[in-house]
Amino acid sequence: MKTLGLWVLRILAAAILLPVGYQKLMGDEMSIMLFDTLGMEPHGRVIIGVVEIIAALLLLSPLAASGALLAVGVMLGAIIAHVTVLGVEVGGDGGRLLVMLSIVFASTTTVLVALRRELPVIGSTLDRQGGEGLP
Amino acid sequence: MTSGGAASPSSTFRNLETRLTVNLDRVSRTANVALVLALGASFLMGHYVSFYFHFLTVSLLLLNAVNFYWRHLQARHTLLANYGFLAQVRYLLESIGPELRQYLFANDSEERPFSRTERAEVYRKAKGIDSSGAFGTQRDLDSSFATLRHSFFPAETSTPSAFEVSFGGQQDCPHPYTARHPVFISAMSYGSLGWKAVRALARGARKAGIPMNTGEGGHPKHHLAEGADLIFQMGTAKFGVRTADGQLDDDLLQALSAHDQVKMVEIKLSQGAKPGKGGLLPKEKISEEIAELRGVPRDRDVVSPAFHPECVDPASTVAFIRRVQEVSGLPVGIKFCLGRDSELQQLVREMRSQDVFPDWITVDGAEGGTGAAPLSFMDGVGLPLFQALPTVQKILAEEGATGRTRILASGKLIDARRQLVAMAMGASATYTARGFMLALGCIQALQCNQNTCPVGITTHDPALQRGLDIEEKSERVARYARALCREQGELLAAMGVRSRPELDLSTVHLPTLDGVGS
Ligand SMILES: Cc1cc2nc3c(=O)[nH]c(=O)nc-3n(C[C@H](O)[C@H](O)[C@H](O)COP(=O)(O)O)c2cc1C
Repeated sequence: MKTLGLWVLRILAAAILLPVGYQKLMGDEMSIMLFDTLGMEPHGRVIIGVVEIIAALLLLSPLAASGALLAVGVMLGAIIAHVTVLGVEVGGDGGRLLVMLSIVFASTTTVLVALRRELPVIGSTLDRQGGEGLP
Repeated sequence: MTSGGAASPSSTFRNLETRLTVNLDRVSRTANVALVLALGASFLMGHYVSFYFHFLTVSLLLLNAVNFYWRHLQARHTLLANYGFLAQVRYLLESIGPELRQYLFANDSEERPFSRTERAEVYRKAKGIDSSGAFGTQRDLDSSFATLRHSFFPAETSTPSAFEVSFGGQQDCPHPYTARHPVFISAMSYGSLGWKAVRALARGARKAGIPMNTGEGGHPKHHLAEGADLIFQMGTAKFGVRTADGQLDDDLLQALSAHDQVKMVEIKLSQGAKPGKGGLLPKEKISEEIAELRGVPRDRDVVSPAFHPECVDPASTVAFIRRVQEVSGLPVGIKFCLGRDSELQQLVREMRSQDVFPDWITVDGAEGGTGAAPLSFMDGVGLPLFQALPTVQKILAEEGATGRTRILASGKLIDARRQLVAMAMGASATYTARGFMLALGCIQALQCNQNTCPVGITTHDPALQRGLDIEEKSERVARYARALCREQGELLAAMGVRSRPELDLSTVHLPTLDGVGS
């Protein structure tokens, strides 16, 4: 049941991240406008696009925890962008971008918390059971 | 170096070492603050200089979140709770340590007093992690390593109840005591340990149903609060039951023995790590509470005498044992590290002639641990456990005292194998102090005497004790004790041993010429 729920969230997040990342790489009008405003055109747009696609693919793989961490990172960056520079409505989209962002942020955060033990290196210290290592 | 011009190279080195430890401690505190400041700085840079800085902002945000979790929300890892993310560096090094060590530094069996392999085994027991290995032993079996002799015909399972130990039955004691398992927590005083460690040990002892020795720390207030069965230890200074001039106060002992939880009394004659030397508690370490519990003034160092003023020769010693038995009404034992065989012989003869025997004798090996002792005593005085035990058993047998008392043993008995070897040499049950410290999370930092224990066990510094979660660590103590009992049962089954008398010297293999291994 829990695994099923997580799979739904993983697929949901990936389904949003993949096309969004692809658009950024292709350089559609909206993305270019956004990253222009942030002063990150074109390198920032390409980097973020690549990271989003990697995160989406990882979310669908056994390394979902790492994928979720990447996605949460990107979403935090996006939140900062909206709060400090972009505002709620971007290019007259009625806040659609912000809604999608929130969906991805919420689902990947849930996945990250649920699968935190599988994170490389620090995973065992986030486990209530304690790891194989020393105290 | 200049100020301590006369210091020997080794003491300079040790000072340097402490300084480094203290600095590391400070560094980690500073680092935790710096992490938060860096986040703020990065955010400002991202806002005013370039949005690219927000890559850093996001990373620092996540790191701060994890660091907060480590320091305030989790109780599993003392080091992470005390030091935060810098301690993670230590975990990282731990995880690649075996490789580093294998090529660069000491190997897994080289660290002392307990090798990494030995410690890791205790940690696994305490955490409830399966501890099977593969490919074969890492030990050098043909040198001096004592092993157990299995049987062609193993027992189905060995019933642990066959290894119950009862005390007091031999001397018509009014309140005999029976311990269900032959694994006891050895003496560690409140004073050498901080109060949180005492609580965690006592709570763990109650959960596992094993008795705990209070150590010579005076009135066992923290032990009593947790409800474990207690063996009250009367040190040479008789903290908790002393008169102003350091003699035994019968009324205080009687009052203490009246506690339901206080099951037995142990008179400490000497200790393996410092036989013939009393302890010293510097006045800086004497808190209000410790002064009250020990019944001593706060304004000067407390020096424990090397011996009990009541015990100056065999006759007075035996008379004192009798007095404590009568006053307390409980089983009474004596603890010592063996020095001269002939003196023990005289003591046992005196017991026979007065017809007074202690209810048990604790034999502490010279390899035993301590909160603080001079190196010359730790290294240079007393007999190791596996040398002493056969001698004690032989003397008791020769003097016809075998059935009148029992033997308990301590000295690195942190695994079932060594415990069973000790039991085959005549011990009815085994004590360990450092085994339980390791279960509490001890990392063998070797600073017990400095109040700087990085995992909050042998320190009174609240900042260092913060990371020690009593409930969590008490579980580990209990798990370790249960795992030891379970492992004993498995080994005994393989040895085909079904009852206590079958476990004798014929069931162990002692490789060295004089019949003693490690
Ligand atoms: C921190 C510490 C404190 C100790 N305090 C006492 C004590 O108060 N009285 C005593 O008789 N032995 C004391 N000991 C010695 C132990 O009770 C025990 O005899 C010795 O450590 C051998 O057991 P082990 O090798 O399993 O640690 C102490 C040992 C340690 C490590």
